[in-house]
Amino acid sequence: MNSIFTISKKELLDNVRNKWIIILTIIFASLTLVVSYFGSIFTDGWQDLGITIQGMMSLVQLLIPIIALMLGYSAIIGEIEKGSMSSLLSLPVTRLEILLGKFIGLGSLLAITIIIGFGLAGIVIGFNVSDVDYLGYIIFIFATIMIGLVFLALALFLSTLFNKRSTAMGGAIFLWFFFNIILPIVFVGILAASSDIINIINNAPDWYHILNLFNPLQVYSFLVTLNVGAALSFDTISIAYPEYYSNILMTIILLSWIICFMILSYWRFNKRDI
Amino acid sequence: MISKTIKCPKCKNIIKIKGNPGEKKLLLCSKCNQKGKYIFPSSDNRDDIEKGSIAISVKNLIKNYNGTNAVNNISFKVRKGEIFGFLGPNGAGKTTTIKSILGLVNVDSGLIKINDFDVVDSGKNAKNFIGYLPERVAFYENLSAFQNLCFIAEMKKTSKDECKILIKEFGLSNAINKKVGAFSKGMVQRLGMARALIGNPPILILDEPSGGLDPRGVVLIRSKIREMKKMGSTILISSHILSEVQAICDRVCIINKGEIVAQDTVDGLRKTLNIKPKITIELEKLSENIIKSVNEVKGIEKIEIRDNNIDVICDSRIKARVIITIEKTGGKIINIHTKDPSLEEVFMKFTEGD
Repeated sequence: MNSIFTISKKELLDNVRNKWIIILTIIFASLTLVVSYFGSIFTDGWQDLGITIQGMMSLVQLLIPIIALMLGYSAIIGEIEKGSMSSLLSLPVTRLEILLGKFIGLGSLLAITIIIGFGLAGIVIGFNVSDVDYLGYIIFIFATIMIGLVFLALALFLSTLFNKRSTAMGGAIFLWFFFNIILPIVFVGILAASSDIINIINNAPDWYHILNLFNPLQVYSFLVTLNVGAALSFDTISIAYPEYYSNILMTIILLSWIICFMILSYWRFNKRDI
Repeated sequence: MISKTIKCPKCKNIIKIKGNPGEKKLLLCSKCNQKGKYIFPSSDNRDDIEKGSIAISVKNLIKNYNGTNAVNNISFKVRKGEIFGFLGPNGAGKTTTIKSILGLVNVDSGLIKINDFDVVDSGKNAKNFIGYLPERVAFYENLSAFQNLCFIAEMKKTSKDECKILIKEFGLSNAINKKVGAFSKGMVQRLGMARALIGNPPILILDEPSGGLDPRGVVLIRSKIREMKKMGSTILISSHILSEVQAICDRVCIINKGEIVAQDTVDGLRKTLNIKPKITIELEKLSENIIKSVNEVKGIEKIEIRDNNIDVICDSRIKARVIITIEKTGGKIINIHTKDPSLEEVFMKFTEGD
């Protein structure tokens, strides 16, 4: 346990020293404030937190996965290529501890930047509007951290899967495209090909709702909109959610993604020769 | 039934166990609850281990990469307190063997033990004893020298004060808070050696310890290695600088094409190969007569003439006969110098054909 903590502390310190933590915090805070102030075409000035979240969701879906993937893709392969992994593994530490230490360290970095960035922006917005839905905003921050951790676990898997840092980076960019663009298009394409388009806008079939649960970005979007209200996203079809869509289900699905890819990462890392 | 006393690697508590040869016992320290495993030695290596005299034991190690044998069924033992040279040409399997000892690669078969702990089953316990300097020394470049060493100290559960002392000992005090990314190759190498010594490990594994160092750095590292030996550490060195290995190693092991071709003291290897010393005889004046009469001495392997010098390669026992012959022919000897065959020559003989 101590080794995991020491490795995660080192990861955090390493990223503090290379200014990542500051850059990300500024990005998150400024984006939220800009979206809140300039985001609505209907009214001028500050929007309340609910509307800000709706505006922020698409941005988060684009931004958080790529940040998490970029943070994690070189965590293992980068150290192997540089040569520091052999020194690390010569210490009394197991590969599982290294992997968990890296995940916790980079995950903490992501969580801290999200909490500080979005939190600061939330406080500023809170001072400028009435009827603030702080609980909804906290759930939005929680869901954002969860989706960040899902993509961090995916990035760690890529980092153990490939033998070159550059290939892992290519894999990370592909995954971002896959979950953000390819998968939603495929799902909607299947739906359009199989049903009457007029009907599906009002009432999508059950299998489509289930299919959507296989995209973690959709699950994130469901988790937020279940608590904050329907987002102004392009996916207007899924606004009428089935009854089994719940906070717990969405959280469990996101957790499952994290656990599955951490297990896969460990399996792959354990088989690897350094 | 064998009785065995084992020291807990964490709290140094003495644990007494009994078992049969080859039997695997689970250990639990009554003081600190540290868990571990111990395999009672089979009869062939029991004596060594019973005396507790073996620090590193490699038995029938095989490692393949894509169907090619990088290491093919090698076995060797490094005794406690000795400096063991691990030599071989490029691609011979040295680094693969070292990586196997450290558990960095998954071996295909074989048994590796460090202070009686199986590297595969009890890797964490085994690595408690090790300090490692890799061939390619790398650090976290955004962190300072001190932060890098503190990270290792924390992992090894030792005091951070030791890091400052080691940084000073290796002449890096001025760069203690400097990012390692800005270090020169020599500075990185010295910091690498400092890192290997954190926690005063009883076993040091050094892969090319002099790589990238200036002569001052080489002297510093060599004196540190000797100091560690005096303190009772076991040191395994892999190096291409054979003069260095010859100067400091008690025993050497030569590996070639994944197989061990020789394993002994340098003197022992010379005897095995029957490599004869080179006797250089400096004369006041060298004449054709002297050369002719020396050539007639039986048992001489080779004669070389340089100015007024005769280099004779022959058994030490022939030396007196050569001197008498020269003097009888009227030669006046100024100086005689005998040079034993170097480790380079021994190495070249054992790895001939590469």
